[in-house]
Amino acid sequence: MTATLTDRYIAATVKSLPPQLQSEVRDELQASIADAIDARTDRGEPLAHAERDVLTDLGDPGALAAGYADRPLHLIGPKFYLTWWRLLKLLMAIVPVCAFGGAAIAQALTGATVGGIIGQAVAVTLSVIVHVAFWTTLVFVVLERTGADTGVKWSVDQLPEQSHPGTGRGDLVASLVMVALFAGLLLWDQLRGFVPGDEPLPMLNPGLWPWGIGAVLILLAAETALAFAVHARGRWTAGSAWANTAIAVGFVSLGLTLLGRGELFNPEFVRVVFVANGVDADALTVLAVLAGVGIAGIGVWDAIDGWLKARRARLVG
Amino acid sequence: MNDTEFDGHLQELRRGTIVLASLMLLRTPGYGYGLLEQLASAGFPTDANTLYPLLRRLEKQGCLESEWNTDEARPRKFYRTSEAGSRLAAILTQEVAAIAAATAALTDGE
Repeated sequence: MTATLTDRYIAATVKSLPPQLQSEVRDELQASIADAIDARTDRGEPLAHAERDVLTDLGDPGALAAGYADRPLHLIGPKFYLTWWRLLKLLMAIVPVCAFGGAAIAQALTGATVGGIIGQAVAVTLSVIVHVAFWTTLVFVVLERTGADTGVKWSVDQLPEQSHPGTGRGDLVASLVMVALFAGLLLWDQLRGFVPGDEPLPMLNPGLWPWGIGAVLILLAAETALAFAVHARGRWTAGSAWANTAIAVGFVSLGLTLLGRGELFNPEFVRVVFVANGVDADALTVLAVLAGVGIAGIGVWDAIDGWLKARRARLVG
Repeated sequence: MNDTEFDGHLQELRRGTIVLASLMLLRTPGYGYGLLEQLASAGFPTDANTLYPLLRRLEKQGCLESEWNTDEARPRKFYRTSEAGSRLAAILTQEVAAIAAATAALTDGE
C-alpha cells in the first residue's frame, strides 16, 4: 500500500544509472526513504502524507540520478560555452555564405531559372545553417560529457582592437548586402516582375521609371557611401547621423508622397492581385495605410538607430 | 537564515562545509538518513538530495568506507570516514579556521 509511490520514485531514479550502480542505489535509497517516512509518521503525520512529503523533498528523480552518476545537468557548461559560441559564430559567418554561393553557381550551371537559382540557394543555405549549428553543438555536448580538453586557452593577445559600435566590417557588409538586395528587388520587379505570367507585372508603378526609381537608386547610392564613410572613419558621428537621417527622410517622403498620390503601386498589379481576388476598396485603403505606416516606421527607426550609434560612440569616447 | 534575499550566498558558503561536517560525524559509522538528522542538529542543515549523492562521491574518492548492516529489520548502508577522509577533514578544518581568522581580522579592522 505504501510501496507504490516510493517504488516508482526509486525506479525512476535508478533507471538511468549504470547497471553496477543500480541495485546498490536502490537498496540504499529504499532504506533512506523508509527512515525519513518513519521519522515523519512518528511525529504523527499520516502515512500517505509523509510519503508524498519525503519524495517531494527529494525532488526530481532525474536530478538525483545525475548526482549519483556525476552527470552534468546542462548541455554545454562554462568550461566549453565560450569556445562553442565563438566557433559557432565563426562558422556561421563563413559557411552559409559559401554554401549560398556554391548552390547558386551549381544551379546556374545546370541552367535553372533565376527564381529556381534563388529558391534552391536559399533552401540549401537554411539547411546548412541548421546542420552547422546542430553538429557543432553535438560535438561540444560530447566533449562536455567525456571531459575532454579542447586545448583552447585564452590569452591577452586575443583582445580585440578598440573599436566603436556599428562601424565594424560586419556592419559594412550588412549595409551593402541590404542595399544590394533592395536594389536587386527593385530592378527585378521592374524588369521581370514577381507575379507569374506571360507579361511582366511590376508591383511598383511603371510610371515611376526612370525618375522615381532613379531617385531611389540615388538614395541607395548615398546609403552605400555613408556606410563606407562610417567604416573608414571608425565611428558614428553627429554628421553621419544627420546624413543618415537625411537619407531616411528622403526615402520616407518619397514613399509617402507617391503612396498618397496613389502612384506608388502599379494599378494593374493592384487590380490583378487584389481586386480580382475580392479585396474591396476599404480593405485597399487599410493596406495602403499599413504600407505607409511601414515605410514611415522603418525610416524613423533607421534615423533613430544612427543617432543611437553616434551617442554610444560619444559615450565610449 | 530568515533573510531570503541572501539565500543564494548562504547556500554557496555552506556547501563546502557539508563535506567537512560529514567526514567529522562519520568518524563514528552512520547511515544516510541518520547522518542527515545529525547534520541538521549539528548546525549544518542539508538537503537529502544533496547528501546522498555526496556520500557516494566521497566513497568513490576513497574518503569514506561503507558496509551493509543487516542486523536490523531494515538493512542499511553504514559509512565510516577512511584514513584519507580523516586527512581531508584535517585539511578542511584548518582551512575553515584560517577563513574564520581572516574574517575576524577584517571585522577587527573596522
